[in-house]
Amino acid sequence: MLFPTVTFAVFFLIVLPVSWSLMRHQSAWRLFILAASFVFYAWWDWRFVFLLAASIVVNQALAVSIYRAEANTARKTLLGAAVAFDLGLLAYFKYTNFFLTSVDNVVGTSWIANVTLPVGVSFFTFMAISYVVDTYRGELVPTTLMRFAVFQAFFPHLVAGPIVRAGELLPQLESPRDPRRVDTGRAFFLIVTGLFLKVVIANHLATHVVDDVFAAPNRHSSLEVLVAVYGYAVQIFADFCGYTNIAIGVALLLGFEFPQNFASPYTAVSLQDFWRRWHMTLSRFLRDYLYIPLGGNRKGRIFTYRNLLLTMLLGGLWHGAAWTFVVWGGIHGLGLAVERATGWRPHTRAQLWLGRILTFHVVCFAWIFFRADSFSRAGDVIVRLFDAWGQSSPLVTTSVVLAIAAGIVSQYIRPSAVTSLVASFQRLPIVAQSACVAVALVLINTLGPTGVAPFIYFRF
Amino acid sequence: MINAYKGIVVLALALLLAALLQAEGLRKQAEIQPAGFQRDVALRVTKPLVTFSRALHLTTPRHELQVAIGRENEDRIDTQVHLNLPPPATAPPATTKPKPHRPPAKPVKPLFTSAHPLRVWVAGDSLAQVPGDALERIGGAVDVVGVESRLSTGLARTDLYNWFTRIQQAPRRLHPDVVVFSFGADDAHDYMGGAHVGPFGSPSWNAEYRRRVDGVTRELNAEGIYVVWLGLPIPDGPGFKKSFPVVNRILESVARKRSDDATFVDTWHLLDDFHGRYTAYLRVHGKLTQIRLPDGVHYTQAGGDLIAAQVVAQLRDRYRLGT
Repeated sequence: MLFPTVTFAVFFLIVLPVSWSLMRHQSAWRLFILAASFVFYAWWDWRFVFLLAASIVVNQALAVSIYRAEANTARKTLLGAAVAFDLGLLAYFKYTNFFLTSVDNVVGTSWIANVTLPVGVSFFTFMAISYVVDTYRGELVPTTLMRFAVFQAFFPHLVAGPIVRAGELLPQLESPRDPRRVDTGRAFFLIVTGLFLKVVIANHLATHVVDDVFAAPNRHSSLEVLVAVYGYAVQIFADFCGYTNIAIGVALLLGFEFPQNFASPYTAVSLQDFWRRWHMTLSRFLRDYLYIPLGGNRKGRIFTYRNLLLTMLLGGLWHGAAWTFVVWGGIHGLGLAVERATGWRPHTRAQLWLGRILTFHVVCFAWIFFRADSFSRAGDVIVRLFDAWGQSSPLVTTSVVLAIAAGIVSQYIRPSAVTSLVASFQRLPIVAQSACVAVALVLINTLGPTGVAPFIYFRF
Repeated sequence: MINAYKGIVVLALALLLAALLQAEGLRKQAEIQPAGFQRDVALRVTKPLVTFSRALHLTTPRHELQVAIGRENEDRIDTQVHLNLPPPATAPPATTKPKPHRPPAKPVKPLFTSAHPLRVWVAGDSLAQVPGDALERIGGAVDVVGVESRLSTGLARTDLYNWFTRIQQAPRRLHPDVVVFSFGADDAHDYMGGAHVGPFGSPSWNAEYRRRVDGVTRELNAEGIYVVWLGLPIPDGPGFKKSFPVVNRILESVARKRSDDATFVDTWHLLDDFHGRYTAYLRVHGKLTQIRLPDGVHYTQAGGDLIAAQVVAQLRDRYRLGT
């Protein structure tokens, strides 16, 4: 089920009041919200509900076993089994054919398997890993199967995050949420801005410049290619930030607080700063469950660079089963290592702006590999950036430039301005609030291109 | 009021008001859904909504906005099949003695180069996009003047998107020498816009679909435009395996009948494996390459490249494509 559809609106209009009416009866509420989450997930392919259920049961069983085991060896073995199970799921569903084709390119095996990628498998698997690892580390006491099932399958975060940690959501599932403490103003603001980012900005850029240019870069002028590269940077931000804004807003209306996932990433003054602002829940997952266990920065310079590079290479591979994603991760890993080696820390106003511009362009350069479906296409884009200036550029329209500008400039809006806007909205009478939301929905629906394009991060 | 309940009321009121303000759009969305329970319910709900909204002029703001951004026809449902040429007359029985057979003179193929390229317009459902992009990459003597791909549309459901209107308009603006169509993947509906027919695959459905395919081909041929019909590829999964051959048979038979001015590209057999089965991977230039997306229907760019190469190969039967 996609968020910006009538189907989801109807689904949520039923789920929201029922959820609050059952909130005091926690057992019934958990059963209901789990069933609703399974319906939400089954809307794509009901068969994968069994995969989700299997992931829940196996991870819960292993987490409880880890908690109960006394011998360290047994705990380690059980943790290894849980991580192997989770990574095995990912490896099978996401990387089987990537592995087989890579092997074929070397030794010519012709082995291929037809494996369908279940939506959101990367996200719910990472959440399960955080649960078992935190249990192993003694940071968490395993909860009941039902609570864990709700934690892992909760529909607002199920298919594309944010990657919520067990320590953040499980405590909220321990007792009924307080209906008096729901920040509805912020929830509606997040939902409406999320829809605007996805439906108007991301879809407009995709259909009006990005898809055309990346499909055949050699048929476009350098200006069009440059605008498409900037356009893709804004498109992927608007697409993914839009999705998580809606997810966070929907969860808020249900009474749950999710962690923030984006904090104006294109205002970052360095790559390290960028990764503190972009897909923040993935960044901290990679930091806590990969970079630090690898040794982090505790084993000297060389190992720090190695760990940074390894973390980003694997982070790249998490995004997609292709070598282009590995290169994308490699560019970020190298960039982070170079920043650390040179001790780049901008302080003055001029340095801060230089940092922002440089960081944005390194990020845009890396996005070329993220978006292109092959190295040759990425190469075409890069070469075309230089060798076709002065040609006509019909794709560079006012609306495209405006969408890119809106996507970048909006990141410089101060959080205090948003807070006061939300507070003003909150003070309005109910009818006026409804009218504001309705008008926003109609504007978004009318201005957005027809049809609903899937969210980019669904396939990760 | 307690915040959570206030949230429910605001959401419900906002959705109701938004539904009234864009009742026409919702009505169209209801109309264009596949036949079934969901469509029936949607139609029942949106009918009174439109009446009420129109009576209060609540549809006006959205319409004015659509006019301002040049999309005033977006909520309009046009089901008419615009085919101007009369159906072809059946050939009269021969009354004179047939002349002795002489081999026809071989026509001279027109030459196109990158300086004077063959103008190609690619249009159709979601399967049109990737081969269209691939043709665009070929470049040289082939100049793709436009790739128009509209998700879930086709020649059956004119209510969803009226391709017949578009096919009348686009060539006048784009002046193509060749049109490449990819239709049919989303045409397996039990009814058609603008016609009363039996269920999908029935004789009346097939006859009406053939009339449409043939009509489009003849209209474009009359304007001097060569038509390439891309067949539907072998799909993964049982559903499409039944419907795609029905459409392919019609496309192929029309192209064969009008073989002077149309051709059919058999993507089914171009993309199947050695045993005639579905495969997502084929060996391309010695390298195992993914040619189909995980949905088992759409093409990857490598798959699109294979189809584009086949289209160009078939175009070479009719044109000389230089450098």
